Amino acid sequence: MKKVIALLLCLSMVGCIFAACGNNDAPETTASVENQTGNGETDAPKEDKIVIMAPPVTASYLENLKVWAKDFQKIYPHLSVEVIETSWGDHNGKLATMAQAGEAPDIAEVSSGAIGTFVEMGVAVDIAPYLSEERLADYDENALNYMTIEDTLYGLPLYLTIQSIGANKGMLESVGADVEKIQTEGWTYEQFLEIIKAGTKENVFGFVFANAGVTASDFINIFGAGAGLDNNFTEDLKYSFTSQNLLDLLKAVEEMTQSGYMPNYGVEAGQRLVMCQTGNAMIFGKAMPLFEANFIQNNAALEANDGSAVENSLKMDYAFLPVPTIGGSEESCYGTVDGLIAMRNNNTTEEHLQNVALFMDYICSGDRIASCMNELYLTPVCQSGRDALVLDEGRDPANLAAASRCIDLVKAPPAGVTAEMTATAKSLMDEVIVPKFQLLLAGESNAEEVYKAICEAAFDAFGEENCVSGKLS
Amino acid sequence: MKKNQGLRLNRRRKFFNDEDRWGYLFIAAAMIIFAVFTLYPVINAVYTSFFDYKPFGSKYVGLQNYIETLKYSKRNLFYKAAWNTLVYTAIVVPLSLLISFSVAIMILPFKKRTQSVFKAMYYLPGVASGVALSVVWLWIYDSSPDGLFNQLLQFLHIPTQNWLSSTKTSMLSLIIMALLSSHGTSIITYIAALHGIDNSYFEAAELDGASFMQKVRLIVWPLVKPTTLFLLVTGVIGSFQVFMNAFMMTGGGPDNSTTMIGLLIYNNAFVYAKYGLACAQAILLAIVIAIVSLIQFKLMGVDVEY
Repeated sequence: MKKVIALLLCLSMVGCIFAACGNNDAPETTASVENQTGNGETDAPKEDKIVIMAPPVTASYLENLKVWAKDFQKIYPHLSVEVIETSWGDHNGKLATMAQAGEAPDIAEVSSGAIGTFVEMGVAVDIAPYLSEERLADYDENALNYMTIEDTLYGLPLYLTIQSIGANKGMLESVGADVEKIQTEGWTYEQFLEIIKAGTKENVFGFVFANAGVTASDFINIFGAGAGLDNNFTEDLKYSFTSQNLLDLLKAVEEMTQSGYMPNYGVEAGQRLVMCQTGNAMIFGKAMPLFEANFIQNNAALEANDGSAVENSLKMDYAFLPVPTIGGSEESCYGTVDGLIAMRNNNTTEEHLQNVALFMDYICSGDRIASCMNELYLTPVCQSGRDALVLDEGRDPANLAAASRCIDLVKAPPAGVTAEMTATAKSLMDEVIVPKFQLLLAGESNAEEVYKAICEAAFDAFGEENCVSGKLS
Repeated sequence: MKKNQGLRLNRRRKFFNDEDRWGYLFIAAAMIIFAVFTLYPVINAVYTSFFDYKPFGSKYVGLQNYIETLKYSKRNLFYKAAWNTLVYTAIVVPLSLLISFSVAIMILPFKKRTQSVFKAMYYLPGVASGVALSVVWLWIYDSSPDGLFNQLLQFLHIPTQNWLSSTKTSMLSLIIMALLSSHGTSIITYIAALHGIDNSYFEAAELDGASFMQKVRLIVWPLVKPTTLFLLVTGVIGSFQVFMNAFMMTGGGPDNSTTMIGLLIYNNAFVYAKYGLACAQAILLAIVIAIVSLIQFKLMGVDVEY
């Protein structure tokens, strides 16, 4: 008897493990069996289930997504939506794993820079055939270009986000900076350096940038735009990070890190905002327009004195600033588009993709995207979103105008860049440029050495003839 | 002829009687789990390493992934990652064993209850989540003057350090982290081994006037050698596969000075979607671990009975 019980326990253990591995969603993912084998008595559309995976794009995005899914089902009763919620930390890893296993969600939130990876993997789907000309025309061409690789549209844009620098407005004015002029006309690196020099005092840095670990890539991207390095490739599809512009950028960063106007140690992502709010830094990066909400909330918390404000923080106004131009480059702003892409999985059919495109378009447009953009302090990248946008009251019109101006400065990647080129550029950025840049930030290498190392690796990857030499035109 | 047949039948019966059948059924549970969750992934990894893997249509590339891994180029991080892993292992494993052995010896004279308290305390970091521990260590290694370690350095009038952002201190930071947070299992294993040493050895040594260090060197160390070999081999295997510390603390930087093989494999598989290449690197890592383990058994296992 004991043997039988022990055997049953063993079997149940094995059974539980296999049960956990089972995919109980599988039968529901595509059209239901009943509908597939329909008796022809009805013309009702087949039931279908769309799976979407997204991180919290805004604080309330995932909750809203469920509401929008229900609203969508009211319009299309035969279509149901399952939302897979992820955190920003595990979203990309989870998505890559699911995609590699052939079990990608039908729709996933992806940054435009990562689309190439999924195209290379063979799981990204061309969605243009499933959307009408009229619907595609609703989206800004510039934003759609971000979702396009080799003339193939893989998804729809959610938003074009800009990343630049921000500041304690009062402190900036106290050192003689004309904030309004900077916001409306931009500034040069030399002017920027003078101002952060004036803003540096005991226990106060004129400038702080989160640069610890992988956040160093933000420094390159944001200040790179100021140096004319808007994209990895030029219009004639040459790799741009070997140009003289990169050397100008590296020399500027070297000067900043050695100046004493910014910390000469690694600053974690969460620290830079706190340093500004506590009065320990005047200008900080990276910054985005939506940070204004943090400052408004903190000021309210300080006024209410309810203990929810940042410890030792001061009441202050936030100024969103354009990145200074370096080496005489044309003014620009670093921007990325985050969007939703359609993905192939083991259950993908033509009819299913039609439904997927329908839902994707539904949540990327209209009042859905308008409410999302209001939370992000951004302007929608589709006309229906702009028409539906109702801004919350209390927003600083100067910041709003500055953000709008910066969005106009963002340059989309050139047409003709292949998925392989994108993947190689990403690998160069992660494995060579950022690591060498970290050396520069730590004061363990100089601009020329870093530039040389990057050029050598880029020539090795793309061939010298496919890399820019001299200044970017 | 009939006699032979009878013998064969007897043997078969002996080999597969009722008791055996039960035994095989019980083993089957473990074997199925092993086959599905260990053997199959390993075989599949070997198979995948010969392909340019894609979820819908992989392409056979022969040894290309192995060649790409081993071919020297300015962008190939495999050798740098291998060197980093080797340095990390060569420092962390022996020092960890030494610390665990020393702590076990110091705990041994206490009463059982006190021993249990110490064992629990040393084992506690092992129970905590690696991610949570990393967050605490990130705070300890804060490079600003307010960081815990930097405050300690300032107290000692030593310049503050850019702990995780400098190539001079990044690997050291990961090594210190490993040395201060992962001894529970080794200490418990050593204490169990020390309890197994017959007291008569120590009594005889005391009669001969042996000092404490002589007892440790000549009695304790040789008698716990099987335990040391076990901890060394498992420690080296674990250390070669180190991933979490580098992933959470430095992301492999600065300048790839803390990129370990485990992190490189992870990046290739889940960041760059090069599953075939990642599998090839994992297989190469497994081969290296197997060779190193064999060498350890050859060198240290001569007078160890297992």
